[in-house]
Amino acid sequence: MWAKNLRLSETGKPASEASSPEQTPDLIFVFGETDVFAQGDVLTGLKAAFPASIVLGCSTGTVIDGTELSDEGFRAVALGFDHTTLRTAFCEVAHRSCFAVGQSLGRQLLGPDLKTVILISDGLQVNGSELVAGLVDVVGAGVSVSGGLAGDGARFEKTYVAHEGKAISGGVTAVGFYGGALRVAHGSAGGWDEFGPQRLITRSDGNVLYELDGKPALDLYERYLGEEAADLPASALVYPLKIFDPARPQDEMVRTVLSIDREVGSMTFAGDVPVNWPARLMRGEFEHLIDGATTAASHALAELQSENPSLSPSVCLLVSCVGRRLLMGQRTSDEVEAVARVMKGEPIQIGFYSYGEIAPQNGSKACDLHNQTVTVTLLAEVA
Amino acid sequence: MELHKLLVQQLAKTSKAGVVDHEAFLDLVNSAYEDHDRDRRRADRGSRLMAEELEAAGAELQVQNLRFQAALDNMPLGLCLFDKNGKLIVTNRRFLELYGLDPDYDGAGKSLSQVLDESASLRGGTELERRLQILEHAALSKTAAGQIEQAWPNGRSVNIARNPVKDGGFLDMVSDITETRQATAQIAHMANFDALTDLPNRRLFRERLAEAVRFSERGERSAVLCLDLDRFKAVNDTLGHPVGDAVLIEVTKRLVENLRPTDTAARLGGDEFAIIVRRVKRVSETHALARRLIEHLSAPYLVCGHQVLIGASIGIEFIKNADLSTDDLLRNADLALYRAKAEGKGRFCVFREEFHASLDRRRQLELELRAALHNDEFEVYYQPQIDIKSGGICGFEALVRWNSPTRGQVAPAEFIGLSEEIGLIDDLGAWVLRRACLDMVRIPDAVSVAVNLSPVQFKSEHLVETVRSALKDSGLAPHRLELEVTEGVMISDTRRAQSMLESLKKLGVSIVLDDFGTGYSSLSYIRHFPFNKVKIDQSFVRDLDKANDGLAIIRAVVAMCAGMGIVSIAEGVETWEHFEVLKAEQCDRAQGYLYSKPIPFKDARAFFESRNQARRA
Repeated sequence: MWAKNLRLSETGKPASEASSPEQTPDLIFVFGETDVFAQGDVLTGLKAAFPASIVLGCSTGTVIDGTELSDEGFRAVALGFDHTTLRTAFCEVAHRSCFAVGQSLGRQLLGPDLKTVILISDGLQVNGSELVAGLVDVVGAGVSVSGGLAGDGARFEKTYVAHEGKAISGGVTAVGFYGGALRVAHGSAGGWDEFGPQRLITRSDGNVLYELDGKPALDLYERYLGEEAADLPASALVYPLKIFDPARPQDEMVRTVLSIDREVGSMTFAGDVPVNWPARLMRGEFEHLIDGATTAASHALAELQSENPSLSPSVCLLVSCVGRRLLMGQRTSDEVEAVARVMKGEPIQIGFYSYGEIAPQNGSKACDLHNQTVTVTLLAEVA
Repeated sequence: MELHKLLVQQLAKTSKAGVVDHEAFLDLVNSAYEDHDRDRRRADRGSRLMAEELEAAGAELQVQNLRFQAALDNMPLGLCLFDKNGKLIVTNRRFLELYGLDPDYDGAGKSLSQVLDESASLRGGTELERRLQILEHAALSKTAAGQIEQAWPNGRSVNIARNPVKDGGFLDMVSDITETRQATAQIAHMANFDALTDLPNRRLFRERLAEAVRFSERGERSAVLCLDLDRFKAVNDTLGHPVGDAVLIEVTKRLVENLRPTDTAARLGGDEFAIIVRRVKRVSETHALARRLIEHLSAPYLVCGHQVLIGASIGIEFIKNADLSTDDLLRNADLALYRAKAEGKGRFCVFREEFHASLDRRRQLELELRAALHNDEFEVYYQPQIDIKSGGICGFEALVRWNSPTRGQVAPAEFIGLSEEIGLIDDLGAWVLRRACLDMVRIPDAVSVAVNLSPVQFKSEHLVETVRSALKDSGLAPHRLELEVTEGVMISDTRRAQSMLESLKKLGVSIVLDDFGTGYSSLSYIRHFPFNKVKIDQSFVRDLDKANDGLAIIRAVVAMCAGMGIVSIAEGVETWEHFEVLKAEQCDRAQGYLYSKPIPFKDARAFFESRNQARRA
């Protein structure tokens, strides 16, 4: 397989002949700043230039381009496969349950030799946990799922995914990879530190949290945020919530805030926050967050090379949480550099800062939605 | 100089061909400072709030701890909790009280054995006992629930329940069960001992008897004695139960004094006692013991200011082998006792096989007799009494008959004695009296009715009341009722008899001296007692046929009565010859088969009406 950065003009056309790939790409990853992405020219241009290619992408606050971060414009990578076939799927959330949307995507993609699914979803209108659960319900736990929820930086206003040459809000897209030659590996890590007392989720409904220890959860966040409470929900991202099923305390999950409702005192998270699960605030120490990125990358690479230590990944898809971006500011680029260092600069590296990351739990095939993590998906093909 | 990594990035981002765009560079540096400040502010605030939260949580925990301690201290159970290393974490007030530890005892971190070692409650016995109790408690499993009971030297009984706790420690709950244990012991004692005398009761006696029977198989000879107090009922009746109870306690003392520790004396009920004498070498030993007991128990008792005289009778059965059950043995001893009493009381009797037959008959009669009153099997018959001068009926004597469904009609001679013995006579006598009064009001003329009083009945403190209520309930005029008593009632306690007769006379009834001439026939009785009538025994009337002795006596009695203004009446008048003699001697009245045998009331009334109408006509 091959991978190549696409240098495109603002209209999505290749910037020069030199930047145009020699072969027709099978798949193009494209991630762009929300306004640029929504404007749609890029997607229209890509569609015109590569009508046969699948375009998978979404809006974001910050695009990852190799070891650089950019809060403006867009970036694209073209991929070509020798032995692997691809199929795309799309579903609008509309008024359906996210579980049903996941199931719908699963049915569209289900087929022999389905090896992995990369899923890119709207970032504000979905319950990522339900979405992944619905998809896995159809394709089965043997198929890995990775990807993430589109972002909008610190604004939390509107997110888009690419579909049929257009930017669509409220949709979910996915690509299925088929065939025995594909090698895919995942890694995911947070690096956040727990702090403060352990609390208990005493009132919630799906991914909407009302109370911790019998008191409004929003009050707690506002107290900890102080004057930054004015910047909610984005400012809540500096204090993610660690939760776990008391029956399986080793499987910890991190939840991040998508929106708040001051009227009812609720906070909506990117995934479920079940009642009676213990919860604890987390805070990020820069060095530990960067160590988290190293851990995720190391894990993915080790998984990819578990059969053949000399196999190199062709592309590294990085999906990292907007919370990390907001917390680390200029130091955020340190984490993408950390990933590149693990990869020794070999694969093409592209990605985006998301409102939710999707990847299997490290060391297991159980795919789930993650928050506040760096997730790494490596793709390679063998002969 | 090595530049900070971020600064290198910032320079790189804002440089183009080695030229730094200062404005853009400063912008980045400035924003990095702001990033840093913001992060520091967040960290400060987070730390401060976390400290506050922890402090509040700590305060809340302290309040909870206080509440828990208050709850623990007010528990009725003693409690101590140990951690997984066996070190004490917490105790409550009750635990300290139970173990006699100081109220501010601080045992935190000590082992259970160390705590118990300091307990005052476990001291007072021997050092070995103390060590063993500590060991027994400390040896309870730390991983499984269990419990033990201990009786401490300070007299308390406790239950110690051990339960393992989740973190690997254990919790002991100690409850004071002294009262429960005492109550249990008390109940066990009550089940086996007589409340008044504290002697073994019938239940325990049977156990001991069974033991003696078992030992008899190994060749040991024992004896079982049944003992009854003579005249004890009279003590209760005349002096009241408190005095009776005091006598029983004194009897118990005398009994026990005369027995060996290996013997068992028991109270079976009322004034019935029983004794097991173990290891009897010679029969004569037991005879001697029986004699000694009778002698000691018959000595006067001074109780509550009263001198009380009672006696004792004893029946003995020897246990020679295990052929007889405890029930058989007790029954045999009881039969021997019955025989001893029948032979005159104040003596003992050893069981012999032939006792069975006679007693079985008597028992059967007793059972039927008791049922008879309940089943209304008694009936009153009336024998007319004739005024010798006028020839008219002047009264009837009421005579009870028993219409037994199994025996046919039974004469009074066969059941009155037994009724007296088994205590039925009061009820039977009252019933006859009442029936006679009720019947007699249905005969309009002023004829009298004579009702016999048994000596036993005469001694009853209820007699006056019984007569009064019979008169009141029937509406019979008191002067129509005659009560017949025999000389016997006056012999044992003359003064009491005299006062009783006077009380009866005050009711307006007449008193008749019955069977005159058969007993002591002391003429002084007639002088001292307020009799209205004297009844000459039928044996003298019958003797008129044979010799002249009868005539002499009849003549003397009639003359004496006439002289004292007492009515004389002769019974057993069967022939016209008898009648002519009595008429010649000026006897006032006559009664006998010459006129009529005793007949049912219906016949008596018919007889009265026809005879008196015939006379008037």
